[in-house]
Amino acid sequence: MNVLEVKDLSFTYPGADVPALNHIDLNIPKGDFIAIVGNNGCGKSTFCKVLNGLIPHFITGEFEGAVSVGGVDTQTVEIGDLAKIVGYVYQDFENQIVRPTVLDDASYACMNYAMPDYLERGRQALKNCGLEGKDEEYIWQLSGGQTHLLALAGAVSLEPEVLILDEPIAQLDPRHADLIYGILKDLNERLGKTIIVIEHHTEYIADYCKHVVLLKEGHVEWMLPAKEALDKVEVLQASNVFPPQVTLAAYYLREQGRLERDFVLPATIPEGKEVFGKLDFANPGIYEKKSKGREVLVSFKNVSVSYRTVKGEPKKIYEGLDLSLYKGEKIALIGSNGAGKSTMMKLMTGLVKPNKGEIFLKGIPVHETKPEHLSKYVSMVYQNPEDMFIKDSIEADIAYAMQVRSVDGWKEKTEGLLERFRLKELKNRDGRLLSGGQMRRASLAIGIVLGPEILLLDEPTANLDIATRKEIMKTLKDMEDVTDTVLIATHDMQLVAEWAERIIVLYQGKVVADGSRNEIFGNQEVVEKAGIRPPEIFTMGKLLHKDAFCYTVEEFLQSFV
Amino acid sequence: MEKTMKKLSENILDKLSLDFLRNQVLKNAYGNDDTVIAKLDPRVLIVWYLFFGLVPWFSGNVLFLAGCFILVAATTILARVAGLVLFLFLLGVFSQTGYLFLVSLLFGGNAETVIPLLVLTLKVATVSLASITVFSGLDPDRLSNGLMWFGCPEKLSFSISYAYRMLPMLMEEFQNVLLSYRLRGKAPESSGFIGKVKYLIYEVQIIVQAFYPLMLNTAKRSRTTVEALEIRGYRYAAANKKVKKMKLSSLKVTYDDMLFLAVSFLWMAIVFVVISYI
Repeated sequence: MNVLEVKDLSFTYPGADVPALNHIDLNIPKGDFIAIVGNNGCGKSTFCKVLNGLIPHFITGEFEGAVSVGGVDTQTVEIGDLAKIVGYVYQDFENQIVRPTVLDDASYACMNYAMPDYLERGRQALKNCGLEGKDEEYIWQLSGGQTHLLALAGAVSLEPEVLILDEPIAQLDPRHADLIYGILKDLNERLGKTIIVIEHHTEYIADYCKHVVLLKEGHVEWMLPAKEALDKVEVLQASNVFPPQVTLAAYYLREQGRLERDFVLPATIPEGKEVFGKLDFANPGIYEKKSKGREVLVSFKNVSVSYRTVKGEPKKIYEGLDLSLYKGEKIALIGSNGAGKSTMMKLMTGLVKPNKGEIFLKGIPVHETKPEHLSKYVSMVYQNPEDMFIKDSIEADIAYAMQVRSVDGWKEKTEGLLERFRLKELKNRDGRLLSGGQMRRASLAIGIVLGPEILLLDEPTANLDIATRKEIMKTLKDMEDVTDTVLIATHDMQLVAEWAERIIVLYQGKVVADGSRNEIFGNQEVVEKAGIRPPEIFTMGKLLHKDAFCYTVEEFLQSFV
Repeated sequence: MEKTMKKLSENILDKLSLDFLRNQVLKNAYGNDDTVIAKLDPRVLIVWYLFFGLVPWFSGNVLFLAGCFILVAATTILARVAGLVLFLFLLGVFSQTGYLFLVSLLFGGNAETVIPLLVLTLKVATVSLASITVFSGLDPDRLSNGLMWFGCPEKLSFSISYAYRMLPMLMEEFQNVLLSYRLRGKAPESSGFIGKVKYLIYEVQIIVQAFYPLMLNTAKRSRTTVEALEIRGYRYAAANKKVKKMKLSSLKVTYDDMLFLAVSFLWMAIVFVVISYI
């Protein structure tokens, strides 16, 4: 039985020339687990908003065709009735949470629809979403992953047949990402919910989804079983969807004629093991990136920091931290949420002062200098680029710091930066209104305006699709002549593996490992302790041969013949 | 003068940093949900407040006012109000009337001048402390439920509890935006008296400017929030009387509420007895 039936659906936003959705026909059977993939702007989010009735009831435009959900025509019933059939979790899920405490929020919709057992439903939803026992907690005490689960619980509480999630794991570390998908799987298998995710992470599609729908320019290109879909490497890449690394490796091997021609490409590591098992390890030498820094740029000496908390004792973040960062290093700071990554950056900018200990940056005592006086030497780009836009155009934003300091030739320099970061056409736009990738580029340009000695980046690739991530990585490489010392705090292990020369692993406020990528990813103990997930291809290589250290598909192809 | 200015700029800008303010506001809003006062029924507290927030204005009896003052001081302690709020309270009372009272005491004022000032000071202090007890002791969510029971519009009570949910996020974002200004802008030299004044003006300036990006960011967020409210049935609830009843059914007058009213009543009765004997 089909839970979703879409017939010849077209939708055009008011004022737009081209339709966002163009003659879509699609049937989704009950109990399916579907991934919708496609380019940015291919209509994924618009399509999902049609399914829950926001279009055409709340967002108007030219609507044609018919959509029925759970046997109900979305045009004829109200949003409220549809909400009980289709649950929706936004990409910016924190904005859909409106109540101050957890149980309150989980049961909010049920209360609004006057269900007498609303608290019980809220509790049950929390239980189904792995948030049992957090009923009375305040929203802001939750981690990012828990907040996402709460948004999910808010939707689940109405017991809808269909759940739609827009990019559920874009902002999460691997542990939380696994947790979310585990819960979705449970909802799908145990409670028979139909799950629809918009997803870029094809490894997760391979592990969890049953079908894949490819959207292209507003219409459905195809809907296929996940395994078959991921096999269509060329078609996917043309839509900026990147298959799992294991699949790509097998694809190239097949193309080069090193594997026989007719077999289905592997999508997961166990499948990969079967296919690659016949290959020999070529031992091409160990791919290694090592920092060559000698001159100390930043040093932490016996630094202790704690934060005031709303209740009870101050929270200790660091105790007796000793660390040196050298000039010219490319450093990745990794560790789970709350391990102290942001605090370390804030210490370097002079924003957070240590309770004890000293920090020197190029000999300047940071612990007793105002952040204003350090901004020439250290610059920080926040995780949320919106907070960097303080003027009404990105040109003005880039110029600002140079302008107020009357830097010679600031006009030309601004011009140059706009050019370098490919922002010229966008220079008069407000930063907030740009796309995710453009916003990141603009925030990076703003960050390096004063040519800082060290640049700190907080999660520069969070919330970006893989194509945009690749672009940001390229931008990072391009910036080398402006700022040679860069520190990135991130969960993105592909970025770490391809970019970093030195990796510092934080765990509960302590540096538990510090070294090159081989030293970190090759150290099983550290990987497990700090919850690090090496790139898939690295794990694949290691599984095939213990001496294999390959971080990219290319390196893998050279290592195994 | 220079010394006070120096102190002012140092204290307000460095010690009373935004981080500290944020912490105090959060402490006040979320940090005392387990106190005796926070557990009371909001309706009982609102009624209680109607008495202690209004009656003192109409009395000129020092003993009665002192009695009220002692009681509300006790409830303020029970509510574990954040330090900053108490500091602002003291500053407010002192700047309104307290300093006159002190001055007239110091410069040989007799009972005729001192007593009216004492009465005024007590009035202001009692009413302020009663307000602090109710509005900062009770969490805003419960307060808004209480207000709704008395017939305040649903929109008002939703706004209060939504503000309560957004506050920490907004403060953090404000801090970040402000930081962008601080790090990228050029602060004036802060040495010397003139420098301090200039620095102070600069800080106030960027605080005001930082509201502009904050508002735009909030507007951007609210796109999702508005859609989500629609899906989650906010509009339906407003039109459905049953929902209001369900919401308010969580309010219950308990033994503790009765005890609280009884103690307040008993205390005021003692005060009246004492007054009538004197």
